[in-house]
Amino acid sequence: MRVTADRDTCTVSSLCVYRAPEVFDQDEDGHVVVLRPDPPEHLHPAVRDAARSCPTRSIRITEEE
Amino acid sequence: MTAPLSYPFPWTPPMEIPDALRGLRDQAAVTVTLPSGDRALMVTRYADVRALFADHRLSRNISRRQRPDVARISADNELFADPEINPDPPDHIRVRGLVTRAFTARRVEALRPVAQGVCDELIAAMKAGTRPTDLNEAFAYPLPIRVICRLLGVPLEDRDRFRYLVDGFLSVTKLPVEEMQRCREGLWQYLGELIDSKREQPGDDLVSGLIKARDEDNNRLSEHELRFWTQGLLIAGYVTTASQIGASTAVLLHHRELVEEIQADWSLVPSAVEELLRTQIMGSSVGTLRYAVEDIPLSDGTVIAKGTSVLLSEESANMDEEVFPEPFRLDIRRTDNHHMTFGAGLHYCAGAALARMELQVATRSLLEQLPDLRLAVPGDRLPRGLGGFTEGFTEIPVTW
Ligand code: HEM
Ligand code: SF4
Repeated sequence: MRVTADRDTCTVSSLCVYRAPEVFDQDEDGHVVVLRPDPPEHLHPAVRDAARSCPTRSIRITEEE
Repeated sequence: MTAPLSYPFPWTPPMEIPDALRGLRDQAAVTVTLPSGDRALMVTRYADVRALFADHRLSRNISRRQRPDVARISADNELFADPEINPDPPDHIRVRGLVTRAFTARRVEALRPVAQGVCDELIAAMKAGTRPTDLNEAFAYPLPIRVICRLLGVPLEDRDRFRYLVDGFLSVTKLPVEEMQRCREGLWQYLGELIDSKREQPGDDLVSGLIKARDEDNNRLSEHELRFWTQGLLIAGYVTTASQIGASTAVLLHHRELVEEIQADWSLVPSAVEELLRTQIMGSSVGTLRYAVEDIPLSDGTVIAKGTSVLLSEESANMDEEVFPEPFRLDIRRTDNHHMTFGAGLHYCAGAALARMELQVATRSLLEQLPDLRLAVPGDRLPRGLGGFTEGFTEIPVTW
């Protein structure tokens, strides 16, 4: 799994940080920062949940084979 | 053709999800009549509601001075329509960014002990007082206003005066019209004074942060915007949260078995809070009123015509059978609960993380420190405030 996030569209909901704090953080202004672009397997459900909950759909996941 | 539905939908009986929400999604949009008598088109399905919250073709500029044909919510309400404020991009993004800095997960978590302290204090006062008591008065209203005071940097000694002005301005307390007007002016003046004192002695609060942004770069925030947004945080964040704390607690107490389930496993608190947010919308969606600046097609092929006033029904989206299995069932263990109660897109509730944190702390504190807490009247007789922005229970007599 590869994770990217678009800081320009991020609206600072903080939802991703609450759902997957190991993977997402926020800068001083609150915009999303991806800590782990290739999260380990056990975090995948939380990351998918974060992506689905993002109010501006700013989180992109690419699943590898 | 049948006559348009009246909106907001009545909550009768008060503990049941309004009947009008059943079957509403057969059509992607229905015409409704607002309390003012004006009509608006209400969007009903989750997918459309979610997409339209993020759609620039719907403007939030609903000032009738600029758009004379926009629907009015009630005949005299201009709460969200200040002609000097542009609620659409690019102005909106600029100002919103300054405000949302205060609501990062880190800053919200820093306020968690503050909220906990307030809860402990309020519950101790309840225990020392008489029974039954009104949960709204004793707990649900004081909690968010104190947290907002801390957030804005309102000094402790001003707290009571501040709450009096805010309550009068937002008609929390029923006051004569002239006194409400005095509160409105008093609050505007107080915010000016607060800004002046923070300019002299900045703190680590939100108002000081906004002033810093304004004074360092005049283009970033006008004096008027500074006051408007500070006041806006009160409008958006106080009664909404208070009403939800009261309503969600009342619903839990009405379902004793849920209280016991939570008391046996505190890790259920967050999902219970989300489910109560989903089903127990403490307000209608009148606050989502928007204006179509272009034609917009919906999922069933209907087209919202340019110039239409549009409501995005959070409560109908939250009951969408396509998204939520058994939507009319209260399931405090529900997963994948991406409800629309805080909106979506660019305008997603700036205070959502704060409201969630307060609801979690409030729910656990009440059920833990007052384990026998219960309604002092039958739940289906609790009075609701209907027809407004917030429709929670106007009084919640409880005992323990
Ligand atoms: C349970 C409590 C709350 C609910 C249900 C709620 C709901 C909402 C909704 C639905 C919106 C979007 C409106 C729209 O797009 O038309 C919104 C916006 C907003 N909320 Fe909340 N809110 C709550 C608490 C708070 C709190 C505690 C604060 C801050 C202290 C707050 C501040 C705001 C602000 C500033 C906006 C405007 C955001 C923008 O226009 O970009 N809200 N809220
Ligand atoms: S969930 Fe989306 S909008 Fe919210 S902080 Fe994360 S990226 Fe930003």
